[in-house]
Amino acid sequence: MAVAKGAPKRGALLSIKIPRGRGASLGFYIARRILWLIPVLLFVITITFFLAHLAPGSPWDKAGGRQLSAPVVANLNSKYGLDQPLAVQYIKYLLNVTHMDFGLSYQYQNHTVMSIILESWPITAINGALAFLLIVPFGIGIGIVAALRQNTWVDFLAVGFSTFGASVPNLIIGILLIIVFSVGAYRVTGGNVFLPTGGFGLDDHLILPVITLAILPIAFIARLTRSSTLEVLRQDYVRTAWAKGLKERLVVMKHVLKNSLIPVVSALGPTFAYLVTGSVIVESVFAIPGVGRTVVVAVQSRDYPLILASTILFALVIAIANLIVDLLYVVIDPRVRLS
Amino acid sequence: MAAPAVALEQIDWENPEQVGLWKDAWQRFRRNPIAVLGLIIIALLVLMALIAPLLVGLHVIKDPLEQDVVNSYASFSLKDPLGTDYLGRDLLSRVMYGARISLSLGILVQLVYLVIGGAFGLVAGYFGGQIDNLLMRFVDVWYAFPDLLFLLVVVSVLPPSLLTLFLALGIVGWVDLARLIRGQTLSIKEKEYVEGARAAGSSPLKIILKHLLPNTLGPIIVSLTFGIPRVIFLEAVLSYLGVGIRPPTPSWGVMLQDGYQAIFSYPHQVFIPAVAIAITMLSFSFIGDGLRDALDPRMRR
Amino acid sequence: MDGSTGKLKWSRLATVMAGVALVAAACGTATTNNGNTNMASSDKQIYRVNSGTEPNSLDPGQQSYDYEGIIGRNVFESLLRPKQDLSDVQPAAASSYDVSSDGLTYTFHIRQNAKWSDGVALKAQDFVYGWQRILDPRLAAGYVDPFFDGTVAGGQDYSKIDPKNDAASTAFVQQLGLSAPDDHTFVVKLQQPAGYFKWIATLWVGAPIRKDIVDKYGSDKWATVPSQVIGNGMFKISEQVPKDHITLVPNTNYWGDQPHLQKVIVYFIEDANQAFSKYQTGELDAQSVPLANADLVQNDPKLSKELHKNPSLNTFWLTPNLHKAPFDNLKFREAVSHAIDRQSLATNVAKNQYAPVTTFIPKGMNGYQPGLADVQKYDPAAAKAALQASGVSAAVANGVHYLARNTTTNKQLAEYITGQIKTNLGLNWTIDVIDSKTVTSRIRKAQFDIYGPDGWGADYPDPQDWYDINTTNACHGLNWGCPNDPNYDKLVQEADQSTKDSDRIAKYNQAGTLMTNQFWVTFLYQRTSWVLIKPYVQGIKNTPMDDSLYVPGDFFLNTVYIANH
Repeated sequence: MAVAKGAPKRGALLSIKIPRGRGASLGFYIARRILWLIPVLLFVITITFFLAHLAPGSPWDKAGGRQLSAPVVANLNSKYGLDQPLAVQYIKYLLNVTHMDFGLSYQYQNHTVMSIILESWPITAINGALAFLLIVPFGIGIGIVAALRQNTWVDFLAVGFSTFGASVPNLIIGILLIIVFSVGAYRVTGGNVFLPTGGFGLDDHLILPVITLAILPIAFIARLTRSSTLEVLRQDYVRTAWAKGLKERLVVMKHVLKNSLIPVVSALGPTFAYLVTGSVIVESVFAIPGVGRTVVVAVQSRDYPLILASTILFALVIAIANLIVDLLYVVIDPRVRLS
Repeated sequence: MAAPAVALEQIDWENPEQVGLWKDAWQRFRRNPIAVLGLIIIALLVLMALIAPLLVGLHVIKDPLEQDVVNSYASFSLKDPLGTDYLGRDLLSRVMYGARISLSLGILVQLVYLVIGGAFGLVAGYFGGQIDNLLMRFVDVWYAFPDLLFLLVVVSVLPPSLLTLFLALGIVGWVDLARLIRGQTLSIKEKEYVEGARAAGSSPLKIILKHLLPNTLGPIIVSLTFGIPRVIFLEAVLSYLGVGIRPPTPSWGVMLQDGYQAIFSYPHQVFIPAVAIAITMLSFSFIGDGLRDALDPRMRR
Repeated sequence: MDGSTGKLKWSRLATVMAGVALVAAACGTATTNNGNTNMASSDKQIYRVNSGTEPNSLDPGQQSYDYEGIIGRNVFESLLRPKQDLSDVQPAAASSYDVSSDGLTYTFHIRQNAKWSDGVALKAQDFVYGWQRILDPRLAAGYVDPFFDGTVAGGQDYSKIDPKNDAASTAFVQQLGLSAPDDHTFVVKLQQPAGYFKWIATLWVGAPIRKDIVDKYGSDKWATVPSQVIGNGMFKISEQVPKDHITLVPNTNYWGDQPHLQKVIVYFIEDANQAFSKYQTGELDAQSVPLANADLVQNDPKLSKELHKNPSLNTFWLTPNLHKAPFDNLKFREAVSHAIDRQSLATNVAKNQYAPVTTFIPKGMNGYQPGLADVQKYDPAAAKAALQASGVSAAVANGVHYLARNTTTNKQLAEYITGQIKTNLGLNWTIDVIDSKTVTSRIRKAQFDIYGPDGWGADYPDPQDWYDINTTNACHGLNWGCPNDPNYDKLVQEADQSTKDSDRIAKYNQAGTLMTNQFWVTFLYQRTSWVLIKPYVQGIKNTPMDDSLYVPGDFFLNTVYIANH
């Protein structure tokens, strides 16, 4: 539970909705869930559209110094259609979105929003994918080891780590990592060896951001795995088998592993969502030009089309992650039925 | 925060047992050293926040706004135990005053959650049917909204003030509570004593206030406890991005932003607020975990 | 520098023998480091710098930010360029220029041997097109006002043309005073005499543009693909990695000597700490010093030797709202100005990256008025006396909201200033540090008490670039306080239209005295650029106009080279 506090999406890590009921086919269920996306996206677009346009200031305002003159601003408004009534702009936008046209960015003149998203998306995806590669083995591993060595110092350490990781937000973890591995290492080695404080590159630039991004889900999955493993271990037949000998222990281990999968799967969807939404903070701390950072800059520069497109993207990712986890749940746990 | 809620939904909140339950819960909470540690730390933080102005008055610590630019970025010393910031302001005093903002914002915003989430959850759960459907669909849609983005935009739109921040944080975080309370209400409203009250002709409002609300308290308290550090964190993020607390008021988020600029030259500038936030959030987690275990009847065996 | 007499001579000579003078100047700059034995091999001639932000556009017509200048200035070449000491202009794409005796017609002689990076010959018509395009309302170029619409004949109607009306827009650009009587002569007719016009011809946005390319790919699309950005500058773009860097390589078709540098890699690193650490690890060859790291750099035995401090031509100030109490009161403005210790701000808060300033034109520029320094100086006693004399009630004086943009440095300045006001005047002001766009929308609507810091950096080293800011008709462009003083307007107009430099400077000086005495703004500081440059980067020619602080020597990259190391 505590995990969710670090996640930018409210409770994202735990938004596990298990569909219940009987009689509906999988296809029908998926179709309904996808149809449901339409009102969700419409709502997200509407709120974001009007909020963004109502925000004081125009995309053409500069961050200081001499501002563009009134005629230039008028010409820019005309060029980008901002001189039309808001309702007209809104309808036009909706129509454009239906055929995947997200318009031109204001900030990067003449570049399409789609091209900007496509430029920044791989960066977020690479960081997210690497984090994910850490999350599953470390999360499950720490959880199982802690459960098997319950009440030993190993368990204590694991629980301590997962409580810390689940409670302390990525913003703070990122800063603390920079202090130790960038600034600290810089001082100790006289500036010879230290990790970069930010930026993107397929090298040591990845280390700190990926760890920062991964800690929360690792901690969360470790907690889930530990408690589910403990539950399995407590059952009588498992205790008996465990007592019998090495061979049986192996059988038990298989059983335990299989059972620990269920909570992990349930956490996958929220984890995916977090890897995207969490990028807003991690990319801000480490100045990484991914979608998260792009969004923050877009809000600051009133790049309405870019704000809207990123919001839609984020909402989609969250919704799809939830859908996938619900479906996986059905596959893994036959007791769950679709409504 | 739905997962523990699922667990808590299974708690059988029987009315007659209530007094005993709270007593039991406290007993169990007391036996949990980690939870007690968390409680002690938070109590100390609250105390620190409360007496900070008094200490300034008694000249034990400096005024958090008092500038001494000649002495900027000072290191630890007797005069300034935690050093000073870029304007030579005492960091110890600023951390203590920062606790006032963070804690009060964290706790007050929970009230907003309680009001909005409570209203949605109780009404949806009690009336059920179409009303429930409509409200819960709205909650679902709200849930799909990327909240940090929403916050960023809202905080930019509204005039900057503590009130704005308070309201903005309030309107993004109530959804979990609404779901939780709805679930609780659904499971309790079929209970005999509620049915009895309804048969006796009590008004819906009265039933909600008198029977349903008190019986959903346990999980709500747990949820709110976990909600506090989340708000503290969001304040820090917004201030870190430059749209949070208005200067010169010291807040941990603002100190984080200021300190980060100087991370290479003076790492203690950012380390101090970072540790303050980490400790506070950990402590609330300890308390939340403790409360959840204590309030979970399954733990009684 | 005392440039006024030099300028006088120059403008007299200009009409007669400008061509000769300019060619001579060109020879002067061309003899650099050739045959330098210390120069590293050509594969090592790579200069890695950081412009801080990715250019919003690669189309010079649509650029307007200082961080875009490094690309715009080096991929395209304007008619003229400033001399390193900023005393005058020197030839660039134009080998010389003549001014008619009435000062209304400028004739630029385009180099016969100038070529575009694809080998096509550069023609005067390319300048006609480039300048017409900037002035085309449909392009909505950011830099058009006031540099181009305020000078080029016919440009004054810019604001009256509806950009949706193609015919009207086309007719408008056709009637402008821009023409090419032959392939190598570009003629600009002005609205009125403008002694400063040669400097407009140095602006990088006034670049020539290839009509065939714009027509082929579209006016908004051509510059979105680096390979389509055909320029006439010394460098061309070889690659752009979005969000990361742009690489410039020599344009082998450039008319002049080839640069020593074989690559200039311009990174877009926003985070100052990150850029600083990249300099440390040797991934950047030059980088400005973040304020918070000033002490670290100065105390570091190695870094302190690589530190270069250069004055830069800018002034920063606080803008009071002159039409709203209490800042409509001259005495109150005086009190505030006297209450701020700028020296302490510069030394203690800004660690000497600022120099205290109490006048408009920055030190190092033509028109600097050191004699006025005492008018707004720090003087707590005078501040208290002025507050008394102002008669402003305590409630009003305490009710002031100080508006600032939400960057860290602006916020820190706000805290310092309000601290000074509290200490020296006993007033408690409220700080509104808010989202930058919201600030702009407020100051545009005059919804503020006092706002800052705001400032100006020279586009070119002529006071005209500065004094125009405060005229009544420029209200709400940068002079948010909106002073309207016919005397000031008249002085500035007369100076702008004069072709005699001594006369111009004298009138600008009168205007400067007027605005300083009226406390239209409260002057605060001038920035000093602190740049770390690796010792092996040689031949850097700094100018005080290298405003972005990020790319040392970006006006004269032709002389920069990498030494053996």
